[in-house]
Amino acid sequence: MKQSEGLANGEGELHDLDPRKFYEQVHSFEFWFQSVEGYLSGTVYGRRPQTVETPLAVAERERLITVLCNYCVGETAALEGASGLIAIAPNRPTQVFLSTQVVDEGRHLEVLLHRIAALGIADPEAEVDRRASSTIREFRRRLLQLVASKDWEAALFAQNVILEAMEFTVFQSHARTADPVTAEVLEGIVKDERRHIGFGENELGRRLRESPHRRSRLIEVKRDLDALVLETFEEILREIGMAPDERPELGRSYLAAVERLGFGQ
Amino acid sequence: MSGATDHSPETESPRQRFELDDRGFNEVPTKYRRYYRHWQGAGDQLEPNEVICPVCKVVIRSTREIRVGDRLYCMACMTRLRIREDSEGHLEADCEY
Repeated sequence: MKQSEGLANGEGELHDLDPRKFYEQVHSFEFWFQSVEGYLSGTVYGRRPQTVETPLAVAERERLITVLCNYCVGETAALEGASGLIAIAPNRPTQVFLSTQVVDEGRHLEVLLHRIAALGIADPEAEVDRRASSTIREFRRRLLQLVASKDWEAALFAQNVILEAMEFTVFQSHARTADPVTAEVLEGIVKDERRHIGFGENELGRRLRESPHRRSRLIEVKRDLDALVLETFEEILREIGMAPDERPELGRSYLAAVERLGFGQ
Repeated sequence: MSGATDHSPETESPRQRFELDDRGFNEVPTKYRRYYRHWQGAGDQLEPNEVICPVCKVVIRSTREIRVGDRLYCMACMTRLRIREDSEGHLEADCEY
């Protein structure tokens, strides 16, 4: 009997799996499919049909639309970035994993645009163009430059560590105070983001272990993008009404990740 | 989740064994779900067979009591972890890239 069959029968121990088997499995499309099935099955555009809309005040609705427009630019950047990274990925499992990430990012963009439409906007894409902040647009431009220059480590760092960590923490925090439908959409996205941040950190961790000299390049990218990331954080958190004294907590996930990778300062 | 005691073959003292139940963690394939749960916030407590993933913050569970040096997997964020003791004697997980 295979080890995975034993696990399915309630025997054996997951944590005894051979590391190669573990990575082979979690980077596969099969693993992705069975994972997302658990939380997306029965949802339509990221929400359960039975979740009831709560009425929003005009100002609250306006703020939410602006925030969702900014999220759309972030997700567009991730969609374009992940697609481009496939072409420069170092091996097949990485390419396959990134292809699952592309599907996730495309779904995120779709459900967010759909949410904007449900809030009464006739042309969500035009609204994104009109409302999205210049800092998140600039971040997208810089990320795509790194991808276009085929700088694997730098582009992966910008996308799967910086951008994904920011989305992970902001969406989690926003979901706690958002209306029920928006919260459900964001919670579904956060579940996908766990895989993306983990993939980025682990891939970079392995690369840095094998080639420590690459660390200096990532410090340079971090220095270049930190201000943009923090400014984007601030803008979004202001819009979702988070108190200034709660905001530093949100940067923790990103800072902890760069600390673990060994270039926190 | 129930605990029993198991004697490992080597020199270490007996480890408690645990039967894992499904806590509704739906982010990994069904056969692995019992190995994970969400942290419930204030008032929640880690059992001797549980540790928090430093990357994605889900609670990782094992069928046996966790000890320093153990290796665990977080399937939710695809990270391999190694257990160590922090300065206050609590078990923590470090990423092993």
